[in-house]
Amino acid sequence: MTQTHSLIQGRPAQGLITIDTPVGHRLIGVKKKAAIQLMGSRLWGRFNPNHWDPVYATQTGLKAPIQTGEMSSAYIAEMCVNHFGANVFRNARIVCKYVASTLANEVITTHGVVSDKTPKGKGYRFKVDVWADNEAGDKKTVGWIEVDVGV
Amino acid sequence: MNTSTVRTDELMPMTEIQIQQVRDFVGTLDSKSQTYWDMVAIGDELARDLHITPELVILYADAVEDYNPWYEGWRMNTWKIEGESPFGPAIVPPLLASHFVLSVQFDHTKPFAIGSIHTFHDSELIEPIPVGATVRITTRAIDKFIKRERRYVRHEVHVTDVGDGRLYLRETRDILSL
Repeated sequence: MTQTHSLIQGRPAQGLITIDTPVGHRLIGVKKKAAIQLMGSRLWGRFNPNHWDPVYATQTGLKAPIQTGEMSSAYIAEMCVNHFGANVFRNARIVCKYVASTLANEVITTHGVVSDKTPKGKGYRFKVDVWADNEAGDKKTVGWIEVDVGV
Repeated sequence: MNTSTVRTDELMPMTEIQIQQVRDFVGTLDSKSQTYWDMVAIGDELARDLHITPELVILYADAVEDYNPWYEGWRMNTWKIEGESPFGPAIVPPLLASHFVLSVQFDHTKPFAIGSIHTFHDSELIEPIPVGATVRITTRAIDKFIKRERRYVRHEVHVTDVGDGRLYLRETRDILSL
């Protein structure tokens, strides 16, 4: 597939980050509520009652049903597409570790900070530390992403 | 926590018939379950083909409330459309294929893997996946290890195009098992 530039359906094809974006730049994240109806949807967590049934979750030692970690990864990916646009879809790398459970009804916010830029071709390979936390600032998912910009 | 005080309808409203349906479903899973650790041997390889239809993409994106129009090969009132993304037609969200790895590495012909939790993924996004593609997801168990008294199973994953063999995604992922 050939990549095009400018606005595509109102969204910047290359995102908001440019080759001039400095190390230390903070990405504006996305914010979501861990809604039980979404956590228990067939495509996400229905196969495992830990993701939606309070009784089963309690019996297995959880405080409440927990969101699948992959929902947090999807939130982080959404943030990265907002900032890096099409660059996320080719020669990129996303690493996520689920360090704590996201409980039903928690509000999750994603974050990102540019931690490194390595010259590559005509541009840079960016590295961004990413994480998702709850309203109290407790980290649920941590990781990083590498993306080529202007290469 | 006292489990007897926890109600099925604690987090969303239900009638007694809905509650009974939930308890019946969960009971079915419990009676057939075993641990993932016992279910997987190093070297086990599984593969399945997934047709990524426009409707499947919408199902995935709606549940994580990601309304990026680049992913829309289906739209209410119009239904199937070609869509538009920086790569031409509509494309698949970056980690959609990664999400479906679970459906491959958890062998659907075996009992429910009780108490297993996905804890880590390292995903290389090689090429954008067009909406409508059929991909082959191949998983191979490469390690079983114990860390801080917890049992993990590690897989390597490849997602390729069934039509031309193109590599879309390469991944390493860990599952914590009871």
